[in-house]
Amino acid sequence: MLQTLPRRAVVALLALSVFFPLGLVIYQSVLSGPFFMPAAKLSLESFAFIFDDPDFWSAAKNTFAVAIGMSVIAIPLGAILAFIMVRTDLPGRKWLETPILIPIFVSPVVLGFGYVVSLGPVGFFSVWFQELFGGVPWNIYSLASIIVIAGLTHVPHVYLYSSSALRNLGSDVEEAARLSGASPFRVARDVSIPMVSPALLYVGVLVFFLGFEIFGLPLILGDPEGHLVLTTYLYKLTNKLGTPSYHLMAAVATCIIAVTFPLVLLQRALLKNAQRFVSMKGKSARQRPLMLGPWKWLAFGLILAWLFITVVVPVSGIALRSVVSSWGQGVNLLEVLTLDHFHAVFEENTMIRSIINSVLIGTLGGALAVGGYLAIGLTTHRKNDGLSRFVDYIVLTPRAIPGLMAGLAVFWVFLFVPFLAPLRSTLFSVWFAYAVVWLAYGMRLIQSALMQVGPELEEAGRLVGASNARVSRDITVPLVRNGLLGAWLLIFMIFEREYSTGVYLLSPGTEVIGAQIVSLWASGAVDVVAALSLINMALVGIGLAVALRFGVKLHD
Amino acid sequence: MTDKTILSVDNLALSYGSNPILKGVSMQLKRGEVVSLLGPSGSGKTTLLRAVAGLEQPHHGSVTIAGRAIYDAAANIDIPAEKRDLGLVFQSYALWPHKTVFDNVAYPLKLRKVAQNEIVQRVHAALKNLGLDHLAERYPHQLSGGQQQRVSIARALVYNPPVILLDEPLSNLDAKMREEARAWLRNLIVEMQLSALVVTHDQSEAMAMSDRILLLNGGVIEQQGTPTDMYGQPQTYFVADFMGSNNIMTGRIGDIKGGEARIDLDNGISVWGLRRTNAAIGHEAKAVIRVEQARLADAGGHNRTEVDLVTSMFLGDRYEYVFHAGKDLLRSWGTRHEAPGKRWLELPGDAVWIF
Ligand SMILES: Nc1ncnc2c1ncn2[C@@H]1O[C@H](COP(=O)(O)OP(=O)(O)O)[C@@H](O)[C@H]1O
Ligand SMILES: [Mg+2]
Repeated sequence: MLQTLPRRAVVALLALSVFFPLGLVIYQSVLSGPFFMPAAKLSLESFAFIFDDPDFWSAAKNTFAVAIGMSVIAIPLGAILAFIMVRTDLPGRKWLETPILIPIFVSPVVLGFGYVVSLGPVGFFSVWFQELFGGVPWNIYSLASIIVIAGLTHVPHVYLYSSSALRNLGSDVEEAARLSGASPFRVARDVSIPMVSPALLYVGVLVFFLGFEIFGLPLILGDPEGHLVLTTYLYKLTNKLGTPSYHLMAAVATCIIAVTFPLVLLQRALLKNAQRFVSMKGKSARQRPLMLGPWKWLAFGLILAWLFITVVVPVSGIALRSVVSSWGQGVNLLEVLTLDHFHAVFEENTMIRSIINSVLIGTLGGALAVGGYLAIGLTTHRKNDGLSRFVDYIVLTPRAIPGLMAGLAVFWVFLFVPFLAPLRSTLFSVWFAYAVVWLAYGMRLIQSALMQVGPELEEAGRLVGASNARVSRDITVPLVRNGLLGAWLLIFMIFEREYSTGVYLLSPGTEVIGAQIVSLWASGAVDVVAALSLINMALVGIGLAVALRFGVKLHD
Repeated sequence: MTDKTILSVDNLALSYGSNPILKGVSMQLKRGEVVSLLGPSGSGKTTLLRAVAGLEQPHHGSVTIAGRAIYDAAANIDIPAEKRDLGLVFQSYALWPHKTVFDNVAYPLKLRKVAQNEIVQRVHAALKNLGLDHLAERYPHQLSGGQQQRVSIARALVYNPPVILLDEPLSNLDAKMREEARAWLRNLIVEMQLSALVVTHDQSEAMAMSDRILLLNGGVIEQQGTPTDMYGQPQTYFVADFMGSNNIMTGRIGDIKGGEARIDLDNGISVWGLRRTNAAIGHEAKAVIRVEQARLADAGGHNRTEVDLVTSMFLGDRYEYVFHAGKDLLRSWGTRHEAPGKRWLELPGDAVWIF
């Protein structure tokens, strides 16, 4: 609860940070050339150009295929996983909770690379499989593989939402059904599933539009056979015409936003609808887990198999690849072991800088971002006026913009706003882009922490004579300290994981590991990519370990 | 056990981990009878009710309904909740938010494969019985707390279970509604000739609603009996203390004469009362007298003592007097306002219990 003036200032700054880059993208999309060129004039020719390009249409088709395909895979699997984890006596449930969430925190570009070195034509697992069975039945570079991998790696997102919906579902409504004469199966069919269906619908929309935005996996897995999706198509446009083809990229981005923005609004509406059910939950917190009997070993096996494919295979592939000089059929692992790739990384200044920068942006940048999110959170905390609702919408907007595009828009802002230009090749520009891209995520963390503070504690502060600002400083913020620490750790992991947002901001001085990997991958430097990928995962892992040590909940 | 017994719980024991919650509880419910499970919070009332319903897992004892064993640890019988055919009204009502009132009530019949036209007729009959007929098409969140409670009762009654279990049925209503609902619920149960087991932590609610009360304390039954027995003949200090508004004073036994004893209280008063303890002369004891039994007297006499009236409080239907006696605050009721000052207070010997 800030006073009016600072409150307005925060909201104005926020609106500017979100709408200015977004406006620039849309404005750029209706120009005939890059907006800094004097000859550029209002026109729709950029749209005409891309709509005329068969690659655009094939990318659009592939994008829909990926989005639909991965929803079809991820939603049922994630929902079943949630049900098994929350409601049954599966052995090792506590122990499985963390590994299940790992795919969320591994950078997709790292993951994609991991699949290449594990399951690619000369990947570790492919070679071993071939030696055992004489052939490999999969082709990691096909569109189907991309869809399956995207689907499997998004299972945790679905799991997250459905498991919290299932936990919120008071067991009393299920017990009432049991008492009425329903078997456990009928209870699931008639009560539990209908009651969590709003959450499933919500996460369905989420996965669908994440499918629209995925970049790392198709960039790495789609390239060899030329499978483009809209984001990789946009990325390829960078050099298509020789000159900066900003207007074309903006047109593609506008097309993507035209799909994702309505989906974000739909999600918001669905969330409102879902809350109607949540508010109905009973008090009874006791739950007797459903006995799986012999089925539990099957369920356990399936979860382990899924973990093997989505975590063990890519991660172990990267770890191995980073310590061998070469790999292929007939190569003896022990003979090719080496630490050269790490030496190479630590001998080159840009690499060292990218590691230092990544750490800085995660720790310091993460803390700054949490501070910013907190300021925004306090402007809307327990206020239900027009300004608060406005902030609600601003916060959601960046979700509709793919990170790659947001990074580009921020790049433009820093390129052409005179007083910002000196900051362009500093880490500040990267931090700003990250903070905007992850605004919605961070705000959810902050808002759920703020909601934990009982309103009467703040009201008591007011009544004993504290102003709004004093109540924030002396009561609200100290009480959410733990929540802020948790938010900082989660933001740290997310910022370490981020890659696409930094791609267009990559310049000497602003290197971060994720963007560096994307650029090195294009130049074919597999050895260094492997070492950097491992370092990247190690950083995320440290964040995860600290978060678990402090008991930070990885989900709500 | 007579054949009028419809629910019988025998030596039931239940633990959470190594933590015993029910330590061997036995009870009976007769056909057409209302029994209350009364006790302080955490005494295991809800757990006992849920164990009868099949929602908790006891490890010892047995539960029989209408002659059919639904749980028997020795014989390894444990009928699942959905096959026990019991009605349970949840404290939180537990209405299904995605079903209308009609569908909520119809669901048990649907599960029992009742024909559709009979379902419609029986659900409407049940709703009408509870004055809910006009709300059939509403969703639970469109109902008031009292209406939700009635729906959950209708849902538990619609399939004519032999026993209906109610967990704190009135606790989610506000104070004024609670008294009306209490009368309404008692009347409903009696009229429909239901056999009901009701959990409550409120002693006046238990006395008003039930034919018999079981007072639970720490997982065992402390005492059971009719409301008048429980109120007028408490066997232990716990029961005396729990069932009513009391004056409680500590002291030492001064003299014993058969069933009576004299207690010399720490506040200086000596009174005779009914002996409910085996403590010998000189040992510590407590004197308990209901607030309504203590009364003002004109002059000194047997079991009368001079105390300091501090204030008279108007309670609407009566006055409450507050006295100082040594370090104790004593209370009694009367019909007039009394000015502060020295007064004689009588603690009748047949109303004082010495534990
Ligand atoms: N799921 C549980 N795990 C462990 N202890 C429990 C659980 N549920 C209830 N208890 C304990 O069992 C005791 C009895 O609880 P309950 O039957 O709900 O009491 P009541 O309904 O009389 O207030 C309490 O001490 C409570 O702490
Ligand atoms: Mg209870």
